Amino acid sequence: MTASASRPSTSAPPGGRASSRGAALTVAALWGALVTAVLVAVPLVLRDRLPEPVAVHWSGGSVPDRSMSFVGDLATGLALWGVAWAFLVGAALHGAALRARPTRVHWWGFLFGWAVFALGVQGSTLLANLDAGHWRRALLPGWTVLAVLGAAVAVGVLAGWLGRGEPDRAPERPEEAPRLRLRPGRRAVWVSRTSNPWLLALSAVALSAAAGAAVLTAVGALDGSAAWIPVVVAALTALLGLATATVQVRVDSDGLRIGFGPLARPAYRVPAAAIESARVERAVPGRVGGWGLRSLPGTGRVTLMLRGGEHLVVRRTTGGEFAVSTDDAERGAALLNAYAAESAALRS
Amino acid sequence: MLLTLDLNDPRPLHEQVAGTIRRAVADGSYAPGDRLPPARDLADALGVNANTVLRALRELRDEGLLEFRRGRGVSVLSRPDARGALAEAVRELLAEADRYGYGPEEVIHIIRELS
Repeated sequence: MTASASRPSTSAPPGGRASSRGAALTVAALWGALVTAVLVAVPLVLRDRLPEPVAVHWSGGSVPDRSMSFVGDLATGLALWGVAWAFLVGAALHGAALRARPTRVHWWGFLFGWAVFALGVQGSTLLANLDAGHWRRALLPGWTVLAVLGAAVAVGVLAGWLGRGEPDRAPERPEEAPRLRLRPGRRAVWVSRTSNPWLLALSAVALSAAAGAAVLTAVGALDGSAAWIPVVVAALTALLGLATATVQVRVDSDGLRIGFGPLARPAYRVPAAAIESARVERAVPGRVGGWGLRSLPGTGRVTLMLRGGEHLVVRRTTGGEFAVSTDDAERGAALLNAYAAESAALRS
Repeated sequence: MLLTLDLNDPRPLHEQVAGTIRRAVADGSYAPGDRLPPARDLADALGVNANTVLRALRELRDEGLLEFRRGRGVSVLSRPDARGALAEAVRELLAEADRYGYGPEEVIHIIRELS
């Protein structure tokens, strides 16, 4: 085979991104139409053999405890699928959902897995009601719930795996972060604070909810000892949110220190001697698997993601990497490199 | 924010802190409108008292470099003028010269030779 013949397979076509999105949207449209048609047609065909109303909820495994009209059940089944489908199509149109591998896997997984779930829920409802005569006599075998969940997960995982696409191109390594010159007799430190405003706002809401519920319980408007449970839950949520919504990143001669929360305590430290190098990278939540403390298998990296944008990435002498969202990361990386080199020189 | 302190600098600590913040703003790490880290963070990092940092920040506010706003903390108002930035660099140069045993007169002499 000549070099020119093999070229098209090695270099991505110029429209690769756009055409993969087009293909995904086409599949989503066809698949959506098919699933919707089945969700409408099958109940209509079986309508004569169903009781009116139909049993739609079972408790204790197989005994029906709630019923709904045929039309209501049909609409519920359609909504269960339609809302998720509309969300997925919207995410694909927006484009960001298909760009990075982790979100792409979820997108494909949900498109097929959720469809199986919606079809399974409607299918098992119809199966239980079929020829029952009255909804009170529509028994649902317990295994169907597990079967539906298992099939949905299995199909979702398979679809996600098939739709995973090419691995994300590693962001191009920037040239080595400049190393700061340490001068004798001077102490150099670098400090930066980064927050996630959404998480801060959520924590504030949770905190005021906790305070409000506590006041109501204390004056007796809400009653009983059980009323304290939401207070405690909301307060814990607020504290946890506050502690993780903001981090203080500091570099000094000891190394890297990451302090959590407004008090910058507790703190996580990486000593300078354990650091091989530091650099700056741009990262977005979709690429590292979401917000918060994230690690994707195979990357050997843990990311503390507060917001998309600049991240300080630290490579340990043991090989792993740690990244944290922070502004002005370049100066921090430069100073950290200087201290890491200094401590390496002292050891050798 | 990158901050450096000269351990042999005879000036009062708050002046040195003001100097290093002025330099960080002058070299472009912080543009007008950017927020500074909280004073407590700066004090912790430098290992000095929070009041020392607050005094330095107030000095810089009086110079028109920073502004304090309720709810937004301390943010940069404007870049220091050329003379202020130069003065900081020259102060550093004099400190370095002092370490090699050169006085200001000798530094002036070297500058004349070079220019």
